[in-house]
Amino acid sequence: MLLSAKQDWLGNVRDDILAGIVVALALVPEAIAFSIIAGVDPKVGLYASFAIAVIIAIVGGRAGMISAATAATALLMVTLVKDHGLQYLLVATILAGVLQIVAGYLNLHKFMSFISKSVMTGFLNALAILIFMAQLPELTDVTWHVYALTAAGLGIIYLFPYVPKIGQLLPSPLVNIVVLTVIVYLFGIDVRTIGDMGELPDTLPIFLWPDVPFNFETLGIIFPYSVSIAIVGLLESLMTANVIDELTDTESDKKRECKGQGIANIGSGLIGGMAGCAMIGQSIINVKSGGRGRLSTMTAGVLLLILVVFLSDILSIVPMAALVAVMIMVSVGTFNWNSIKELQTNPTSASAVMVATVIVVVWTHNLAFGVFTGILIGSLFMAQRLSQFMYIESDYNDETDTRTYQVVGQVFFNSSDRFIGFFDFKEAVDKVIIDVHRAHFWDITGVAALDKVVIKLRREGADVSIVGLNEASETLLDKFAVHDKPEEIEKIMGGH
Amino acid sequence: MSVTPQSVILAGIDGSNFSDAVIDYAIWLSKIHQSPLKLLHTIEHSHHSEQVHHEGNLTPNMKEHLLDELSDEERQESKQLIADGKRLITNAKQRAEQAGVENVIAKQRHGTLPEALSDLESEISMVVLGAKGEDHQGSKAGLGTQLEQAIRAISKPVFIATTSFSEPQKLLFAYNGSPTSQKALNLLKKNAFFDSQLEIHIVSVQKSLADATNLVEDARTELQAAGLNIVAKAMTGDPVKELTQYQQEKAIDITMMGAFSHGKLHGFIFGSFTTQMLLESTTQFLLIR
Repeated sequence: MLLSAKQDWLGNVRDDILAGIVVALALVPEAIAFSIIAGVDPKVGLYASFAIAVIIAIVGGRAGMISAATAATALLMVTLVKDHGLQYLLVATILAGVLQIVAGYLNLHKFMSFISKSVMTGFLNALAILIFMAQLPELTDVTWHVYALTAAGLGIIYLFPYVPKIGQLLPSPLVNIVVLTVIVYLFGIDVRTIGDMGELPDTLPIFLWPDVPFNFETLGIIFPYSVSIAIVGLLESLMTANVIDELTDTESDKKRECKGQGIANIGSGLIGGMAGCAMIGQSIINVKSGGRGRLSTMTAGVLLLILVVFLSDILSIVPMAALVAVMIMVSVGTFNWNSIKELQTNPTSASAVMVATVIVVVWTHNLAFGVFTGILIGSLFMAQRLSQFMYIESDYNDETDTRTYQVVGQVFFNSSDRFIGFFDFKEAVDKVIIDVHRAHFWDITGVAALDKVVIKLRREGADVSIVGLNEASETLLDKFAVHDKPEEIEKIMGGH
Repeated sequence: MSVTPQSVILAGIDGSNFSDAVIDYAIWLSKIHQSPLKLLHTIEHSHHSEQVHHEGNLTPNMKEHLLDELSDEERQESKQLIADGKRLITNAKQRAEQAGVENVIAKQRHGTLPEALSDLESEISMVVLGAKGEDHQGSKAGLGTQLEQAIRAISKPVFIATTSFSEPQKLLFAYNGSPTSQKALNLLKKNAFFDSQLEIHIVSVQKSLADATNLVEDARTELQAAGLNIVAKAMTGDPVKELTQYQQEKAIDITMMGAFSHGKLHGFIFGSFTTQMLLESTTQFLLIR
């Protein structure tokens, strides 16, 4: 434990610090942009990014992952800030942190297994669309200068890396900001700047208890927001952790990450910052820049604060167009472009889940709703498919006037009607044998369907007997642990 | 019906100077035990990328591109490490087969040595390791960083080779009556480790001589009943000092003792007796967990 902690912090010092610098430079414009999305002063997002990055570096479960103020959580705060103001956002942030710690102790990270690849793709695509849409106010009803500057900014961001030597040395989003700021300043172009968007930090953050009445009315106001923030924050954080696990071929501690996100949000709320979570784009940039350890996240957070506190005067004259260019880059980079091609090749059900997730998120501006919709639709498709795995063979014996039905496959809520439909109730026979030893009854709806069949056949005057019910109903029990053992699964599923 | 495979003597092989000694002692042990010899080389990934980019922008499908790039780089690294390791264990295997061990298995696993040991624990009867690994052979002082982790990773006996092989004649059994040293005593009694040719010195260093004498005499009686060749010695004083002095006086070849019975934190604060013994001695070690 001590040794792995040392490795996490000091295993990659040089690359971690360099990557942390690259990330810090990119975090500044993003933190400001996300503050604008949430409707608060830029300093709220900047303090948040500092607090979250520094705290998660210490208490997080995924070394090398970058957490800060994010679009996903900022989108959830808009109406809270508009209706009740910043102080309520700060308590909501603290409460969200508490909920995330509770979620960590309850092992809720295990529910991530319900999130399919399609839902995850939908989540990222929706996030990208929302980030892009959030830039539109800056691009409507403006002079042509803004369009020209934004286009120039995008050009620099994407093309500067191809410049020999310095292209690989300086982060292109930073070059974009510097160049556009210099142009606007030198030519005195009258466009909106970051300084117009609200207060920038000029001091180090201080500990502040949010100024709200502590009563049930306040709780009633903030609770729904805190729940949404907690869920979306954990979703994006755990997804990002999976991405980093995959990229670096290492493992992370998801439970610790949940609790860490909670602690980070509490810390952010207490120094006047908004809620945040892990950032997929920045974390990938960190890995690409060589960042692997906790030191990279720590460097990013500390440097961000130093930059903004000492450079706040310069920062205030940065044109919004430069920021918009960075955010368009983030949006384009977050969107999964392959997923559009895959709409044609993937199964329709997978595409439907992805598209539904995107639509619900863009409609509600809440990623959690989209994810729940995606999970729900995906589960329905799965139930629909499983219900196809059932058939009934029947056989008639002349001598004894006996009809034998042999049921094979999965009987549950979604296949019970089909199950009933296989029986011929109009046939007049002496005896009916229903052999279910190769069937599996997964729920009480399946059992009820069998009861229904038996009663109906008896009414028609047949003697009904059921064979193999014990084997068939073993799957009814909710003892999932039993199914972990190969021999138990073999016993239950042996018929197939 | 599947037959439970016979448990193996596992020798940890890397490119260090100790590897030959490790193989030789492992050969010696597997002949005594008549058990298969498994030669294990672990491939440790650095997870460190040489190709870093500081352009800091987010391009379309960057995750996919980065994943391709990183996995290609690691594949190259892995292939190289596997090839290097394969040479080492192939040589080791030849050496063992020439020495007359019948059943030699050479295996490579990804991950660190401690990870590999805990994964394979169920099939291992004893582990043979070198005192220092590849990364530490240059440094004069200290032990391999992974050695303690490796010993702690499993509850099987670990033999540590510190010098090149010579047929062991004398074994010092450091006995203090603790649960792990009881376990060691029982293993000796069952003659689990060595043929009876070996001269076994039971030594106990306690605060009072009477306690020490009681301990060694009880142990002597038990072991003599098992037909072993025993010398018993009771002492007082500083255990590390007395034991290392005894090793030198009697030209002991192997020191057998319980190891790391305290938690890691205890060792971190107070320093571990096991670590001190390993550092101060020049004999081979047999550590019982």
